[in-house]
Amino acid sequence: MKKSFIQGLIIVFLFFATWIGLSELDWMTIFQVKKVQQSTEQKLGDLFWNIYEKSQNELKSRKILAPIDSLLDKICISNKIDRAKIKLHILQSDEVNAFALPDNHLVIYSGLILASENEAELSGVMCHELAHLELNHVMKKLVKEIGLSTLISMTTGNGSGEIIKKATKILSSSAFDRKLEKDADIKAVDYLVAAGIDPEQFANFLFRLSEVEAKMPDGFSWISTHPESKERSEYIISHSSRKSHKYKAILAESTWLKLKEQL
Amino acid sequence: MLTKSFKYTPGEHEAEKASNSYLMSLIAVIAGLPLPIINLIATLIFYLGNRKATYFVRWHCTQALLSQFSLFLMNSFGFWWTISIVFSSETLSTNYLSYILTLIIFNAIEFIATIYTAIKTRKGIHIQWWFYGSLTNLICKA
Repeated sequence: MKKSFIQGLIIVFLFFATWIGLSELDWMTIFQVKKVQQSTEQKLGDLFWNIYEKSQNELKSRKILAPIDSLLDKICISNKIDRAKIKLHILQSDEVNAFALPDNHLVIYSGLILASENEAELSGVMCHELAHLELNHVMKKLVKEIGLSTLISMTTGNGSGEIIKKATKILSSSAFDRKLEKDADIKAVDYLVAAGIDPEQFANFLFRLSEVEAKMPDGFSWISTHPESKERSEYIISHSSRKSHKYKAILAESTWLKLKEQL
Repeated sequence: MLTKSFKYTPGEHEAEKASNSYLMSLIAVIAGLPLPIINLIATLIFYLGNRKATYFVRWHCTQALLSQFSLFLMNSFGFWWTISIVFSSETLSTNYLSYILTLIIFNAIEFIATIYTAIKTRKGIHIQWWFYGSLTNLICKA
């Protein structure tokens, strides 16, 4: 009996020793997993962005892009995010919406900029979407909703139009899991604080828009697809209150007003 | 793995049945069934069907079942880990790939050992595996 027990323990030990031993090698690099993932993400990003580019009007004026760029630069530099990899797009639309696409495409609707009362509110939403990108939520969501095999077939040009349309809709007009949304909110607060932007403005924005959205539900995609806005603004305030920081405007008041005039 | 003398010399029919108990687990693999429980079920059905068989047959059915049971635990964990990567927010990692490689190694050892034992048992030679053999001795009484 004792002999069998010891032998059993040795087998269990051998199993875990093999597992831990093999874990010492970087199999992700050996099997080139990251390279394959990056290439798939890049192809999907191009595929989805092409759809938006064809169907909607992208605003490319320097006067509109420059202020948003300044905000994004400041957020990226303060948080050690590679700015060069983020592809910023501003689309002409009354909808209050912003979303992230695979391969670091950050899409902002002009309606969102107009609905923001100041740069801090807009920066809050940008940080939230940046957090989704940095935490790899976009690809996780696609894999969960569409399935890995379908996504791979899309990158090889075999995806049906219907599925591509469905995936595009999922990315722009549906929220992530509750946990992923909370993670992105908390990360967004960290980004804002590091960039010297007041996170309470982001919470105010959520609170204000949730009230407006309740009265007129159409056109407030970013809020209506992100449930429990009041609860979100509460935990954003509670998380940001733990951080002491001095906040400073990035854009001059006149630049912000001119940007809104352009839209 | 040890070749030991059995209490009696098994007959031709007994050797064939005992050998088949090991082949049952291999049939499921050959059929390409991805669910880890299939091997266990195949061996379990054969074990239950031979509960009243001779001691040699029962002994080898038990050893085959016990070895499949531990593989089932290891493979099930790997199976559900894979499912969570494909269908949920879990991502590929070095830990996961190392686990799968460990599974491949342990399954390959078990596969080779099973074939070897099936051949030897078919010839009426009593093969007792390390750990599983002594465990079978405790469970399976003459």
